[in-house]
Amino acid sequence: SRLAEGTPRRSIQLSNIVEQRVFKDNEIISTPKRGRKTKSIEDADADYSPRSVQKTPTRTRRISATAKSTVTPIRGTAATSASAAPITPSQKLKKIRAGELSPSMQQRSGKPVDESRKSQLQLAREQLHVSVVPKSLPCREKEFENIYSFLEGKIQDQCGGCMYVSGVPGTGKTATVTGVIRTLQRLVSQDKLADFDFLEINGMRLTEPRQAYVQIYKQLTGKTVSWEHAHTLLEKRFTTPAPRRVTTVLLVDELDILCNRRQDVVYNLLDWPTKSAARLVVVTIANTMDLPERLLMGKVTSRLGLTRLTFQPYTHKQLQEIVTARLGGSEAFKGEAVQLVARKVAAVSGDARRALDICRRATEIADTARDKCVTMLHVQQALGEMIASAKVQAIKNCSRLEQIFLQAVAAEVTRTGVEESTFMGVYTQVETIAAFMGVSLPPPGRALRLCAKLGAERLIISEHSRNDLFQKILLNVSADDIHYALRVGEIAAAN
Amino acid sequence: MIAAHYRLHAGAIGYSAGKYSHFCALYPRQLFVSKSQMENICAALEPLFPCREGAIKTLGELIGDSREDYPSALYLFGHSGTGKTALTRTFLRECSRQQGVRIAQLNAIECYTTKIMLENMLDTLAPRQCTEESVRADNMLEFVEQLRRWHDQGGRSQSFLIAVDNAERLRDMDANVLPVLLRLQQLTSLNLCVILLSQIPFEKFYNKTGLTEVISIHLAQYNKAETQRILGSDFFQVRGHLLEQFSKDVQRLAICEAALTEDFYSNYLNLFLSVFYKACRDVPELQLTARKCFSIYLEPVLDGTVESTDVSRLWRHIAGPLRSALTQIYMRTEKPPEEQEGSAPIEDQSVRKLAQSLELPYYAKYLLIAAFLASHNSANQDKRLFVKHHGKQRKRMQTVNARAKTTEKMSTTLGPKSFTIDRLLAIFYAILEEKVGLTCNLLSQISTLVHLKLLSFVSGEQNIMDGSARLQCTVGLEFVLYIGKVVGFNVRQYLCDFM
Repeated sequence: SRLAEGTPRRSIQLSNIVEQRVFKDNEIISTPKRGRKTKSIEDADADYSPRSVQKTPTRTRRISATAKSTVTPIRGTAATSASAAPITPSQKLKKIRAGELSPSMQQRSGKPVDESRKSQLQLAREQLHVSVVPKSLPCREKEFENIYSFLEGKIQDQCGGCMYVSGVPGTGKTATVTGVIRTLQRLVSQDKLADFDFLEINGMRLTEPRQAYVQIYKQLTGKTVSWEHAHTLLEKRFTTPAPRRVTTVLLVDELDILCNRRQDVVYNLLDWPTKSAARLVVVTIANTMDLPERLLMGKVTSRLGLTRLTFQPYTHKQLQEIVTARLGGSEAFKGEAVQLVARKVAAVSGDARRALDICRRATEIADTARDKCVTMLHVQQALGEMIASAKVQAIKNCSRLEQIFLQAVAAEVTRTGVEESTFMGVYTQVETIAAFMGVSLPPPGRALRLCAKLGAERLIISEHSRNDLFQKILLNVSADDIHYALRVGEIAAAN
Repeated sequence: MIAAHYRLHAGAIGYSAGKYSHFCALYPRQLFVSKSQMENICAALEPLFPCREGAIKTLGELIGDSREDYPSALYLFGHSGTGKTALTRTFLRECSRQQGVRIAQLNAIECYTTKIMLENMLDTLAPRQCTEESVRADNMLEFVEQLRRWHDQGGRSQSFLIAVDNAERLRDMDANVLPVLLRLQQLTSLNLCVILLSQIPFEKFYNKTGLTEVISIHLAQYNKAETQRILGSDFFQVRGHLLEQFSKDVQRLAICEAALTEDFYSNYLNLFLSVFYKACRDVPELQLTARKCFSIYLEPVLDGTVESTDVSRLWRHIAGPLRSALTQIYMRTEKPPEEQEGSAPIEDQSVRKLAQSLELPYYAKYLLIAAFLASHNSANQDKRLFVKHHGKQRKRMQTVNARAKTTEKMSTTLGPKSFTIDRLLAIFYAILEEKVGLTCNLLSQISTLVHLKLLSFVSGEQNIMDGSARLQCTVGLEFVLYIGKVVGFNVRQYLCDFM
């Protein structure tokens, strides 16, 4: 009864794959587990032989009910239980909850293509992929310095603290923070810094805010427990002082998703650092700059503190630099092509992902054109595909009656001056236009079908057709688009 | 052939013939010409459904042969009493009997959740080998998966037909039900056809996200000649019934046998329809009334007063009863029409009967009258109507003009207006000569009247006690006039409309 409504008491996430970020040089950011060091990770990988996809028991009920024979008996830690006795699904579930089976994916039967056999464009395309994060982000040196000094200070001082990082999507927030963590972990391995644990949660990967406790606890111990249990255990860990406690760095991505009405999860996550026993450093990332003032309660905002950092959107010079750094010494791109992409993207959003995606699309276009190098024309075409709207094309490809209908909606909007028109008024306009053009008029039933089709294509916004003559219709394209599409079409037809 | 035929018969809503032929190409099956299967079914159905040859032929060509690919969805629509349900039911049963097609028939009204509908469908569709355990389907995904599993087991030898009656209810169910049903063939890759039956055209079904194409078949209402043919088709049944009825009475039996010819019956139906066809074209309703009136029609013939060939005298006899039966149509009261005959018009009588049958206490009657007055008089007239010494009122031209009401402005035709309980009690005390205490019995009678649906709440049902609840009187003028007569109170005297 204390729980908020809709909170499942025990919703244990089974399909959550253990987060392991693999970077270019197979550097793994992971929590150095107490007792067993990096060796244990390799162990788990070695003795866990990927056998079939069905090991993730997401659909166990159906599979186990009908096709029991297809489930391969899993030998948990293959060498030890070689008795080959098939384990029941509940046993498997138990092992997964205890973290004894690591979820794996099916592996490809063929081998990946050799690096040496790839063309220059192909290499450039792989370099330009958004998931290939460079070791050091260009144009984010100042932000890197800022976060680095904050975290290093907190780890060295052995105290807790909070930091709030904000910025529009695609400005390198998460990449910079994880880059700082990687640098710090390298320092730890060289014994130049005190040891620390790194935990990471993402608000978007949780079905509800309270699952954050489950994830944090899972990253500490590897066990999956209910959120109430995880909460008490974490509370115990962070409030009771223990000797030889190392600092814990917690990265909370998508903080705004964790905010619910009660804000208890956010409060707890930001309250633990204030405890002297906790030694917890929380770095929170979100998009909006004024989130603490706009959404969070006063006590939460005050705990979040004033250490803040804003990532500005990239300028066109920075985007150019980013893309050029990605390409390295490759000759696949013309200089002005990169500049065009950078200028077009920087004018809209300053999103680095978008620039990289457009560049990748341009390489694909160049590939199909059998060119060795990406020129301005390819980039222009890619920009046309990825930025230009398809609405004019859609209107041009409508049937004759649909075009008349669209014209009629636009005419009705001009006649009444109100954006929202009823089907009846539109149908009167259809009658007029059809009489003017000399085409035969569709009966209202067919006109409703036209309306429904245009509504499904989102050229207009219409209601369910059950209240036929009185349904409200909104134009979803601009009236100029309709005139442009149809007028230009007429001229083309006349020629 | 089917596509070409479709263009002829069901051209109302376009069905892309190209898509269908593409579908045929996807599943090349032995398309040897087998008219016999379809023709067998049509031949079995045509005697049962006269005047539906066209629809049966269309249905036969679309889903008559289970070895051919079915269209993915059919939509059968027409008025009530045009034989949609009966035709489909018999058609599916014949398909099941002759070709071994698995059929499912359900009524969307019965399925108040999607799960019920899906499990009903699965239970009836299940192939013979897996009928023993009842199947579960919590959602659409499991339903489709279950059907696909049958596809894997049985190959494409099995065909399925699903008929959903009252399909307009599908629009109110979960948003994915109708779109999935319309493309169930594509999703399950079974030879399956979903037949939707409804009274409204398909243009009322389009949702915001679009639907796939459907072939719609219209069952037009029968015209007069067709109706007469359908009503006349049960002549032998009626004759057998009557002969059995008179089997004791030898004299009547002889007259009956002589007079009851097909011509005589069709003459009767002609007379019958000349009165009834204007008001009602619903065949079941007409059938019911025609049977009832036929015994009256036959009466003078059996008595020997009128020759069976004298149509004009028979018409004079039957015209009165037919007219009085016309007022009873759609009422489904099991009373012969001659009992209804009386001097007063029937509508008046029914209201009086209702008022008589409703036994209210004395004060409840006055409360009802007060509620009627409160509903049909405007509040600013209350002082003049109910307060004894309300001062002099000067007659001015303005008020006379304002009060000169046309019939459209009369509140008895406009419908009742709402009033508060305080006003109801004030009028009640004003029209009741004696002074009674405001006891709980009196107040409870108001709530009883609400329970009996003689009054109803318009708003504020939650705060009755604080006086902001508004009531409305839901009985008509005749009813209240009758109640007024019973208690000796002239209601008209207190109505603004009649002043």
